[in-house]
Amino acid sequence: MTAIPYIIERDFKRFFRYKWWIAGMISMNLADLFIMALVYTKMVKFSYFEFFAPGITVTALFAAAFMIGREVNWEVRRDYYHYLLSLPVKHWELALGRVLSGALRGMVYMLPLLLIDFTFLGLPHPLQVLIIFLMLFLLSLGVSGLSITIAVSTDSFERFAVMRGLTYYLLFFCSTVFYPLDLIKDISAQGIIPPFLAVLAEINPLSCGADLIRSFLLEKPSFNIRLIISIIAFSLPIAVISSLAYTKILRRRK
Amino acid sequence: MKKLKEVLYVIERDVRMFLNHKILLFMRALWFIAQISLFGLIASRMVIIPNYFEYYAAGITVTILYSTAVFIGYDIYEEAEHGIVEYLLSLPISRRKLAVGRSIGGGLRSFIYVAPLMGIVLALIGVRNPLNFMLAFFSLFLFAFGVAGMSITIAMGIKSADKFDILMGALDALIVRLSTVMYPKVFMAQANLMYSELANINPLTFASELFRWGAGIEQYLTFGPLLSVLVIVLFFSLFTLIGIIFYERRLEGGGWQ
Repeated sequence: MTAIPYIIERDFKRFFRYKWWIAGMISMNLADLFIMALVYTKMVKFSYFEFFAPGITVTALFAAAFMIGREVNWEVRRDYYHYLLSLPVKHWELALGRVLSGALRGMVYMLPLLLIDFTFLGLPHPLQVLIIFLMLFLLSLGVSGLSITIAVSTDSFERFAVMRGLTYYLLFFCSTVFYPLDLIKDISAQGIIPPFLAVLAEINPLSCGADLIRSFLLEKPSFNIRLIISIIAFSLPIAVISSLAYTKILRRRK
Repeated sequence: MKKLKEVLYVIERDVRMFLNHKILLFMRALWFIAQISLFGLIASRMVIIPNYFEYYAAGITVTILYSTAVFIGYDIYEEAEHGIVEYLLSLPISRRKLAVGRSIGGGLRSFIYVAPLMGIVLALIGVRNPLNFMLAFFSLFLFAFGVAGMSITIAMGIKSADKFDILMGALDALIVRLSTVMYPKVFMAQANLMYSELANINPLTFASELFRWGAGIEQYLTFGPLLSVLVIVLFFSLFTLIGIIFYERRLEGGGWQ
């Protein structure tokens, strides 16, 4: 039997030690949904609450899955991996376990928000539920991988924090989490924001995740296979790259 | 003169400590820029409110002023956790001067940090009446001190690290969203009457209204500037006083432990 379940269990226990972070995030997500989105609904010409609910679900998944990078970078900076190497665990198991546990953290944290989506926007067909879960898991895997890749790329906390922050804000704000893609494209066409931001918003995995849920629950935007392809194209390579990068860090000699 | 100098040392230390959080400050500035240049620009085309960008940019400036003034609470909490309070008490400075210095330093440092960002926002949205703006600017100064006092009060009132973090996280999420920082009160009332009622007693509402009034964005003002100034002065006086008294008392006989 592999050691992966133990690694996942360890990372889960550590995740729930960040009570302040979880409490802050839950408050923020619920306040965004039940206060901000409800007020914005009165300020726009469509139901912003319905539009935003899938967006906040994907945001929550992203934030929770992205968290693993912080721990991995700490381990890299403190040479904590020496201890990890002393465990009877193969390198590939450790690498895969870390990426998987990051992904599962994202899924567990996101689940209550997805249930809120189903409660308020309606329950989709069981096959669609299955596709949503599968795609969100893949997305979470990609985000966890991206976070680990950034974490192992530098020994400097400052550099890591800046890279992490830039990635976070770029993916967060240049996505369809907060606003529809048509609007972003219109604004870009008017020259108000640079065109590459509209392209980024379209291929952004967070946009694809949010739009996939919307397409099944709201039928707007309509379902497009591109959403699934984009998530797979982002997640699988980045999961492999992050596992390899993590293994490389484990094997390095200082 | 000597007494003032001692308070100034405490203020200087707090400002220096704050500037040491380079990454945190850089990330906050980045968040601010992303909020204005991406969310503000795009959302202003999404909503039915004319000139929403100006409205939002002014609100976000007050948000960042609030969130940086709150930092002092975290600093004080960490000092208690890491045994630095004992060191501070060994200094030839009275507890009262220490408390006064912390309260002033907490507000001042956030203002120093936010001032350039405020300048960027004002360059974008403009100032129609400089005199109004000077009054609003001064009131925001008091607002920052009030927030620092509130943060000190909470930090000294809660002994559990978990409870402190959870309360601050929840407070941060609610206080911003239940104010007119992001949206006018008329829409809050349409969404839920309770939201607009809570916004009526939220200091962030008064601070953002004052900033908008100072910058000449008067379209959605719900309170007169005089009332807003009075509320801010009251908020500042109350929490600065409570913060100082509470901090001083807690320092007495190891109450922070």
